[in-house]
Amino acid sequence: MTALLEVDNLCKHFGGVYAVNECSFTAAEGQVTGLIGPNGAGKSTAIDLISGFKVPDSGTVVFDGAATLRRSWLPGLPAAWSPPHRLSRRGLIRTFQTPREWPALTVLENLLLAHFQPGRERFWWSMWGPNRAEREGDEEERKRARAILDEFGLLELRNERAGNLSGGQKRLLEFARIRMAEPRLVILDEPMGGVNPVLGERMAAAVLGFAPNGTSVIIVEHNLPFIERVTDAVVVMAEGRVITEGPFDTLRSNQAVVDAYLGEMPSYDDLDS
Amino acid sequence: MHQALLTLGFGLVGAAILSLSALAFTLEYSVTNVANLSHGEILTVGAYAAYLVQQHGGGVLVSGLAAAAAGGALALAVHNGVVDRFVRRGIGGLPTFIATLGVSLVIQNILVIIFGASNLGYQIPQGAPRTIGPFLWTDTEIQIMVSAVVITALLYVIIQHTRFGKSLRAVSQNRSLASVSGINAHRVAALTWLLAGLIAGYAGFILAESVGTFSPYSGFTFFLITLTAAVAGGLGKAVGTLVGGVIVGISLEFFGGYVSASYNLAFAFGILALVILFRPRGLFVGGRRSVFE
Amino acid sequence: MIAYVVSIFTEGAIFAIMALGLNIIWGWSGDFDLAYYGYVALGVYMTLVLTVGPAQSPTEYILGLSLPFPVAVILAMLSAMLLALIVGAIALRHLRGIYFSIVTLGAVYVLYIFAGQFVPLFNGFNGVSGLFNPMSDVLPLDFNTYPYFYLGLCLVVLVVVVVLVTRLSGSRFGMALRSLREDERAAAAFGRNIYATKLKAYVLGAALAGLGGGLFAGYLSAFNISAWSPTETITLYAAILIGGRGSTRGVLVGILVMYMGLQEATRYLPEVAGHASYAPAFRVIITGVALVLFIRFRPQGIIPERRTRDGDPSETGGTTVSAEPAVIAPAFGSGAT
Repeated sequence: MTALLEVDNLCKHFGGVYAVNECSFTAAEGQVTGLIGPNGAGKSTAIDLISGFKVPDSGTVVFDGAATLRRSWLPGLPAAWSPPHRLSRRGLIRTFQTPREWPALTVLENLLLAHFQPGRERFWWSMWGPNRAEREGDEEERKRARAILDEFGLLELRNERAGNLSGGQKRLLEFARIRMAEPRLVILDEPMGGVNPVLGERMAAAVLGFAPNGTSVIIVEHNLPFIERVTDAVVVMAEGRVITEGPFDTLRSNQAVVDAYLGEMPSYDDLDS
Repeated sequence: MHQALLTLGFGLVGAAILSLSALAFTLEYSVTNVANLSHGEILTVGAYAAYLVQQHGGGVLVSGLAAAAAGGALALAVHNGVVDRFVRRGIGGLPTFIATLGVSLVIQNILVIIFGASNLGYQIPQGAPRTIGPFLWTDTEIQIMVSAVVITALLYVIIQHTRFGKSLRAVSQNRSLASVSGINAHRVAALTWLLAGLIAGYAGFILAESVGTFSPYSGFTFFLITLTAAVAGGLGKAVGTLVGGVIVGISLEFFGGYVSASYNLAFAFGILALVILFRPRGLFVGGRRSVFE
Repeated sequence: MIAYVVSIFTEGAIFAIMALGLNIIWGWSGDFDLAYYGYVALGVYMTLVLTVGPAQSPTEYILGLSLPFPVAVILAMLSAMLLALIVGAIALRHLRGIYFSIVTLGAVYVLYIFAGQFVPLFNGFNGVSGLFNPMSDVLPLDFNTYPYFYLGLCLVVLVVVVVLVTRLSGSRFGMALRSLREDERAAAAFGRNIYATKLKAYVLGAALAGLGGGLFAGYLSAFNISAWSPTETITLYAAILIGGRGSTRGVLVGILVMYMGLQEATRYLPEVAGHASYAPAFRVIITGVALVLFIRFRPQGIIPERRTRDGDPSETGGTTVSAEPAVIAPAFGSGAT
């Protein structure tokens, strides 16, 4: 099993507070890796750093065999941290704590735009491209988008403006967008947040549906039963550091994890009843 | 050296006016999170109100009070008639900002219709310049500076030591939290705008006094400098804004005196652009803002 | 009377071109740019100094060439684009919302002050004049028929612009710009280079400002700083907002209502002896009131931005575009605030 993402000694501080402190972990290819920890553990900052939305003070991230750095445009200057769009083009896509759809665009347009094709979005191609269908997203793509929407039960809503969907539907739309984009790795930031628990099984199926389609998953989530259900391995963070890594089952007996959660880690059965 | 001190003296007059205007602007911003683009017109209306009072034989004191009253009334009207309605509807900062630009155009052109677009001036004797230390000031200029200091001190007392001031600070920190804890945020905001309008109206009067002439557009032009001072000091931060006003006012006077007064506004915007690009939270707060932060 | 109608429509066509450019920047890309009229003014000035020949003392201005009018307009467009590239490269890097607006407002005031005070640039306060009926020397037109020709020219250019803008609006580039307006972070997360894309839109909008300015130069024949003010952008914004932000047809309707309709409606205001005409001031007041009321009550405008509808996949598989808006758009998406 090869590591798709290797995070090494990542540090980031705000003022005097270290949000992420010497954070190191790996996520394996073809797996669902959970990233958990109590509030304030630095999970959100860590994924902001990994996805390029924030720049770390020190440390490295290797994604798909290459560091997430961009060579400087001036020879001699040090390489800069990759901005989000470059990482996204390399196949690392993230979601956000609140669903970030493009509200005034239709559901189908949200899907078509999720699959970024640099050539097509170029100004000249848009102006003088071969024909209208190709400029606006060709029929093949629309078919693929419709199939994915159908899978997530959103097909009927494809002409609705995305801003009018319910919270749960927006989450499903987000999953559909990821499927459309087909990244190598997706980082899901609290996908169960604000979602009716009734949808839990559907969400779990969606998360588990990524790997067979070639997308590995890192998932940040507070809902531990959900984590237990979907992950192959988990990384536990507390106070900016990784305290342990391993399969979920091994955690219950790990004293450090129990301490981090103040011994309040619930079991799957407790929450289920 | 003497020349520089003289320039500093004139700069202090400009700084006094600018600080009052910027303080009023920042107060408006702090309670509603709306950059009020019709702020300049509050100054203009103050200047015209004082003009009307003088036409009917009023003295300097009455003129100043009338300017403040007119400015306060206008600010309250803009808040209750436009800004508060937008805030209640949850319309964001930028659309409301655009709407206040519309308000600014309306007021400017109402003034054009009533008074004409040409420059007017007061009939107040400036008094002979007198030498105070290294400085050279007229009576009017001394009045301007003293009144600005008094108003600033009063404002400090109001904000720091009254119940209203406490609510004002609470609302500017976190409007929804203040509402939850039993403060009527709309009422506090309205009163704050009234207070800001009183100050801005008076600032319009002393601005017209010090420049000598005014027109329906002079408030907007001065507002652009006000914006520079307020942003340099940190939008919504009273003390920072005060310092920003003093720094910008004095540096403008030096630029005008030693380079060219015609390009004053361009210079102000140069400062503004640099501040926004490198210290977007104001000169006194560190940290660069990225698109995502 | 007919001459009046011709001039109203010529102006309307020119303003429509400018408004379509601003609609790219604000309507699609979502940036409230207050420098826009500066690009228009630069287009006017550049067209003038490229066509009217060398300056005669005591006037002073740069260049002073006698190029053919169309060439001058193209060069004017390019200079507007260059200025927009510089301003946009600085302002779009880190700034959004009111900070972006304030910096662009500053940029246009700096241009305004230099145009008015720095005489060697565009002859300072007195401005540049002398572009009388461009191209009338190479065309068999007399004094009476020329306005019809110029109206025709402006309308043809407008039609070309509308066709190109419509094409662009539905394309992937146009949609990508909408995604930036709606949610920048998500757009970046899905691979879009926000800065580069927004900058492209900004320069593109300024190109139309330069084009409109070039045509305006031929219409006005002279230009100085009393003929424009930085806040004139607001009238264009009012037209876009009222017509329908983001919608090409909406912008054209907005121009029809806000420029031509308003001009006509205030034409018969009573004049007062010894007073300048009230009409211009009234027009601005109505513009301001309309701006406030539309933002409050109908932010999507008269003709809301339309989204393409996807047909029933079980049918031939073709995509149909229906005229009905799926749902009324929130004109100020989360990305706009």
